[in-house]
Amino acid sequence: MIQSLEKERSLLEMKTHFISMASHEFKTPLTAISSTMELLQTKLQMDNLLDQFYTHNISKISSEIFKLNTMLDEILTLSTIVSNNIEVRKQAVEIERVIADIKYQYFSERKDDRVLNLKVSGTPQPIYADRNQLSKIFTNLVSNAFKYSSSNPVVKVHYQKTRVVIKVTDDGLGIPEKDMPYLFQSFFRGSNVDAIEGTGLGLSIVKDFVERNNGNIFVESKENKGTTFTIIFKYPDHIPAA
Amino acid sequence: MNKTILLIEDKPTLLDTLKSLLELNHYKVIVASNGAEGMEQAKLNRPDLVISDIYMPVLNGYELLELLKKDDMLRNIPVIMLTAKTEIDEIDLAMQKGADGYVTKPFVFKNLHAIIKKFLH
Repeated sequence: MIQSLEKERSLLEMKTHFISMASHEFKTPLTAISSTMELLQTKLQMDNLLDQFYTHNISKISSEIFKLNTMLDEILTLSTIVSNNIEVRKQAVEIERVIADIKYQYFSERKDDRVLNLKVSGTPQPIYADRNQLSKIFTNLVSNAFKYSSSNPVVKVHYQKTRVVIKVTDDGLGIPEKDMPYLFQSFFRGSNVDAIEGTGLGLSIVKDFVERNNGNIFVESKENKGTTFTIIFKYPDHIPAA
Repeated sequence: MNKTILLIEDKPTLLDTLKSLLELNHYKVIVASNGAEGMEQAKLNRPDLVISDIYMPVLNGYELLELLKKDDMLRNIPVIMLTAKTEIDEIDLAMQKGADGYVTKPFVFKNLHAIIKKFLH
């Protein structure tokens, strides 16, 4: 019995390792494909050959490459969660720095010139959490806010006396009321987002990571008005020395 | 005069494409396929900027970064790291070791170019 459990665990670890390796290895050819597309686009433009047909189709290829990349990241994260192989490495974290980092890393210089607005109030205090997981939480929520709206998403960080409250808001499609109970289930997608591609994994990862870091997540939404995700982390009584 | 960029990447297709994109944007580009070759080229050509992959054979991007930042003649050259890993810890490590910027793969060239321009113009 113990032997077969160990074999099972070892197989699961191998699977997770393989998915991790494949996911990282796929990124170099994906980068080569997207860069080659950009090279072609630049050359066509320089030769005055870049018409609407080329622009439209090059942009379709480029958009699919980035979707594939998101899928790879989400499958990798979910496989680590499912195999229970995920490590929560807590440390003192300044939440607004994590959000400023992801803003710089993922949401600056957008092709559509939209920006992420970050508003901070109160006196900053650190929380005790896993930085990589916090980064994934806000990357997923902000990506969704961009994806399902056409204006600038807003992240408000409000430092209160005993806790920090973070709100990620967009004024986009919103979530139909009937979908709310299933929102955080893996592979579930809202009934009004058929035309917008996604894996249905992002929010289940968000909820898992929020809870692993002792936080709470709430959602308020109105169809065609927008959505606000609220995440609350209490400040720790003390932060263990690193 | 055109600015010189040293581009270090072990995957030939990506190296070739990035080189062409940079050249179309009027940079002089020197290439290397691992950190050791990159270090040699840096000493030989004193580029204005280094763009380097992290995971490469012979000498990886972190090891190269350490050597560059220890060298009195080369330590002021800005270094942008390219990485397939998106974890903040990985990016922090690169910055702690002295990287001046980072870009995660796959990237939009416009984003990489914006960072290059920040250092070269």
